[in-house]
Amino acid sequence: MKFGGTSVATLPRWQNIRELVASRRTEGARVLVVVSALTGITDALKHMCGQEDKGKRIEAYKAIAQRHYDLLDHMQLPVPDTLAARLRDLSTLAEDGPAALGELAWAALIQAHGELMSSALGASFLTHSALTTQWVDARECLAAIALPNQNERTKLLSAMVEAKPDAALNARLAQLGEVFITQGFIAREAQGRTVLLGRGGSDTSASYFGALLKAQRVEIWTDVAGMFTANPRQVPGARLLQKLDYEEAQEIASTGAKVLHPRCLSPLREPRVPMLIKDTNRPELDGTVIGPEVREHAPSVKAISARKGLTLVSMESVGMWQQVGFLADVFAQFKQHGLSVDLISSAETNVTVSLDPTENLLDSDAVAALASDLAKVCRVKVIAPCAAITMVGRGMRSMLHTLSGVLAEFGQLRVHLISQSSNNLNLTFVVDESVVDELIPRLHEMLIAAGALRTDDSALFGSSWQSLYGSGETVVAADAWWRSECRDHLLALGAQATPRYVYHLPTTRKQARELKSLTSVDRLHYAVKANTHPAILRALAEEGYGFECVSPGELKAVMAAVPESAPLLFTPNFAPREDYAWAFTTRATVSLDSLYPLEHWGDVFRGREIVLRVDLGRGLGHHEKVRTGGSGSKFGLPADQIDAFLRLADAHGVTVRGLHAHLGSGILDVKHWGEVYSQLASLAERIGSVTFLDIGGGLGVPSHPGEARLDIAALDDVLRKVKAAYPHYKLWMEPGRYLVADAGVLLTRVTQQKGKGSWRYLGVDTGMNSLIRPALYDAWHEIVNLTRLDEPATALYQVVGPICESGDVIGSDRRLPEAQEGDVVLIAQAGAYGKVMSSPYNLRDEAQEIILE
Amino acid sequence: MTQPIQPRLTQVFHFVRHSYADGVAELVYAFDHGEELIERVRFPAPPALTPERKHAFDAALKLLHLIAGISYYKAGVPPKLEVADGPLDDATADLLEALYLHGLAEFAYRNGLDLRGRIAFPRSGEPSGKVEAPVLHLPKRTLVPIGGGKDSLVAAEAIKQMGADAAAVWVGNSPLIAACAERTGLPTLNIQRELAPGLFELNRLGAWNGHIPVTAVNSAILAVAAVLYGYDSIAFANERSASAATLEYEGQQVNHQWSKGFTFERLLSDWLHTHVAADLDYCSLLRPYSELAITRAFSKLAPYFGVFSSCNRNFKILGPKPADRWCGQCPKCHFVFLALAPFLPKPRLLAIFGRNVLDDESQAAGFDALLEYHDHKPFECVGEGAEARAAMYALSQRPEWQEDALVARFRSEILPQLDASRLALEPWLQPAGEHRVPARLHAALAAIG
Repeated sequence: MKFGGTSVATLPRWQNIRELVASRRTEGARVLVVVSALTGITDALKHMCGQEDKGKRIEAYKAIAQRHYDLLDHMQLPVPDTLAARLRDLSTLAEDGPAALGELAWAALIQAHGELMSSALGASFLTHSALTTQWVDARECLAAIALPNQNERTKLLSAMVEAKPDAALNARLAQLGEVFITQGFIAREAQGRTVLLGRGGSDTSASYFGALLKAQRVEIWTDVAGMFTANPRQVPGARLLQKLDYEEAQEIASTGAKVLHPRCLSPLREPRVPMLIKDTNRPELDGTVIGPEVREHAPSVKAISARKGLTLVSMESVGMWQQVGFLADVFAQFKQHGLSVDLISSAETNVTVSLDPTENLLDSDAVAALASDLAKVCRVKVIAPCAAITMVGRGMRSMLHTLSGVLAEFGQLRVHLISQSSNNLNLTFVVDESVVDELIPRLHEMLIAAGALRTDDSALFGSSWQSLYGSGETVVAADAWWRSECRDHLLALGAQATPRYVYHLPTTRKQARELKSLTSVDRLHYAVKANTHPAILRALAEEGYGFECVSPGELKAVMAAVPESAPLLFTPNFAPREDYAWAFTTRATVSLDSLYPLEHWGDVFRGREIVLRVDLGRGLGHHEKVRTGGSGSKFGLPADQIDAFLRLADAHGVTVRGLHAHLGSGILDVKHWGEVYSQLASLAERIGSVTFLDIGGGLGVPSHPGEARLDIAALDDVLRKVKAAYPHYKLWMEPGRYLVADAGVLLTRVTQQKGKGSWRYLGVDTGMNSLIRPALYDAWHEIVNLTRLDEPATALYQVVGPICESGDVIGSDRRLPEAQEGDVVLIAQAGAYGKVMSSPYNLRDEAQEIILE
Repeated sequence: MTQPIQPRLTQVFHFVRHSYADGVAELVYAFDHGEELIERVRFPAPPALTPERKHAFDAALKLLHLIAGISYYKAGVPPKLEVADGPLDDATADLLEALYLHGLAEFAYRNGLDLRGRIAFPRSGEPSGKVEAPVLHLPKRTLVPIGGGKDSLVAAEAIKQMGADAAAVWVGNSPLIAACAERTGLPTLNIQRELAPGLFELNRLGAWNGHIPVTAVNSAILAVAAVLYGYDSIAFANERSASAATLEYEGQQVNHQWSKGFTFERLLSDWLHTHVAADLDYCSLLRPYSELAITRAFSKLAPYFGVFSSCNRNFKILGPKPADRWCGQCPKCHFVFLALAPFLPKPRLLAIFGRNVLDDESQAAGFDALLEYHDHKPFECVGEGAEARAAMYALSQRPEWQEDALVARFRSEILPQLDASRLALEPWLQPAGEHRVPARLHAALAAIG
């Protein structure tokens, strides 16, 4: 068990250590505790080494000693002999200075005292707390080895230890007792001098001991429960990684995760000793187990990370092709200009390297000077600011097909460098830094949605960081209505007949009321294309919603169901002339999104008020590829045609009353609407007649269990801020899926099963004819066996429908209980774009719709 | 209630009245017999007005009333102007007619209007030169308007450097400007301007809309402030090329930033000397300098790199990331990026903007417009275009820049069509031309160059 500096700095933390050690003892294990120095002590010792003046060194020594006395005081313990001896040694070292030992060896010995003292103190505390503890000098167990590429500095200050299982040491300790304490960070080399293990040294010490003793496991106790699927500061929804193999963990550690130093895993690999990372403050949390390769699940991306502030230097020349020494000359230039090289990628005629963001790089002319020198031998391009995005997972190449959506995302960006290591563990993209902050959370979402990051596999993935550590209220999804409250009713409905859509009106009402809490939104319209069932339309009309329709058919359906007072919007796309003419006979507000109607059918619009739907295109940076914005989409009037539109409008006496933009769907980042809103407002300021701005919908509904929901309070905040800047416009929104998705489920029944190789297919009585979203959008719907909801999920199924299409897969790799013919299977979140997109394909019976009031 | 007005059919624009009490100036206007449009300008913590400054204050306030009216007048552009408290002397009428005609030139161009011969303020016939304003012995300190962009920060730093007494002042409630003003370390003065709500209503009713010379309105507000709080000078940060016309339309010069130009500076400065106080100076500290000279001066002001923005699109929303302050797409972003590039280490510049717009092919059209390439008019020797070409040429000669998409494109496509001997950066860095900076501030002027 290893504890870091903050864990050993106070009495309560030592009491905590005692509890944890005692609990391991009750499991029957012998325990070796590895400790760091008290927080701040290593730095103080380093500082002391830098002092040339003896007096100042002695002063520093006194302050360091006092820290330990204070802690002992607090523990109400006398100074143990072991600690007193260490303090004497340290005082002598401070007094003598480096002359006798040599600068580096002296410094190493001084710094080693941080751990020597903390462990002596710990041994005394644990022993006095009725847990007899033997103090072990790590230097007698860990022998540093000399490596050919080491100089005196690295030999003494970042040494390596070859840790092979050592039965003799094991036997020796067994004779001494049951609980031991030793030092992290230090070892001894062949000449008998004390050496340091460098950065991450204490974790590495723990690993060395784990390997030497062939321990049951190594536990790293720290301030977080383990490794996560992404940096929680960037992605609050990042999930705890419960199981990793050594190589994956090492890769994640080296591409961004700070919790573990990458070098501390390799000693454990050969003896196959597992490592467990745990949170000292929250020992009840699961933590991350790192062990030998884990086989029994589908391959998954484990983590995504980003490193920012990179500057790339790309060098191109045919001169390097098969030329001896070309690269050596090139790299000499980097050294000469004091620039440190990190990533390197090379081709026959191009070498691209990345530079770390140092002050030298930012504020001197180093890059200009380097480029001038390099330009003499090759073409140089300086590319910045960049960031490296890395996805880690075992068997990355075999997952490429699931990454198509993710790769398409990169296809929209400028990718400067791609690397895929031969160990098949990672895939790295170097992109423009400006996209990273928003890209990482989105890629994390996309990896989950694409089934590449299998958060639904509870054996691998734990809770989200947000739910473990998030401040404020954690947005935990309430228990779905169908899981408990209505389950029996649904089972009865399913037993009568399937397939059936069932809609739960209270859920729609609840969602509708939640959006009404957005104080800055003046009017909400339900985008009826999501679900046109009259009962849903009526319920939303009762909640005060208006209705957004995209066809005369939708308008008629709405007008038939809702009272005359409900506002209507008609927002068609590439509609024929007569649709507009007819819409003007209704009370609907009509929107246009191209020049054509005014150019050719001006008389239809003469004297009318209309809404202009604009395409904010590149203005929103990364949002351009989201389905309904950007040149690649058929929606919206591009910003550069707005002036032409206004001239046409003026010519026909048409008043532009509102501006509308809708950039996509499934968006969970609240900043998005703030950006749309402010961009629309700045456009509107050029058009005097505008009174309202419609920022569309696209409010995301997370589909995976535990995924964070859209933060409505945060959205309200964003909108209020923008509204304060532009108070003179009314704000409209048009949510669709958000209101109805969770309210609907599709009930179906198990028909047959089939095994094929290692694959198991579970057939149900409807498929893409009723619910096309999985086939059309790769959408992920939760699927449960409602009949066996409480049975253990042991089977891994491909859930398929009866349609003669290989794409008729409703869900792949689903962990479900063993199913039987006739079981009622429920497909969740089917309230939006379910029934409305169904088809008579294969002439299978259409699903009925049932309303639960 | 009166009938809803049709702004474009109005006949008369009335300057109804203006008043001041307790730090609030009320400026009242009306079209025809329509409802009054009341604008309010709020001066924070107003000192009591001394009797000896009363006359000057009234004159400045009256001018503010006349100048701020331009925001409302343009809604209808009626043929007749009426000033309730009587006709104007020739100097005042000349100033206003020039401002309304040239300051609204772009507005007129965009709306297809011709304002020539349409703007006539009532005149008393009192000739220029008759009016004399006294010396008020205003305290020797300067109002430095802050705009959030680099220019006003260069001016503020120059004044700080010469050790002069000054305040950072701004009109409105932009958080970005507030952050920049704060960063100067000067005492701050934030004046609020509330447009008449009726203007939004007029817009809804189909009013004309477009660009107004907001610098003129702000200048008039600051003239009132200078008398009220006691400042002897107002030092704007308008550079040399602000005087150049952006385009010519049916024989009329259209200058998007006319009220930042030297003509307006001279007219207003003379008017203040004769009508308000002989010792109230109105000038631009940057007048002798080109954009490039200013960006070079700015490149030494690292503390502002993380707060400033010249981007118009991102102006109202403020955040800590570069993308919150720079859209990277608009002409302002393009120009400031390009003009700073010769003077900063490349990685530092890219960190300010959070992106490299010169390595983004989709920005080619924007930079072409800046360089006046493929444009309807021939290359000219003055203005932003020539400076942009000089900056681009400088980058094209530097290995760390020359492979970036738009620099490479410049080298292969545009440069061969230019006379390289006229692309040097250095001439732009020399001060040249007239200015009206008073002797007291000459040291600040020198600090910039």
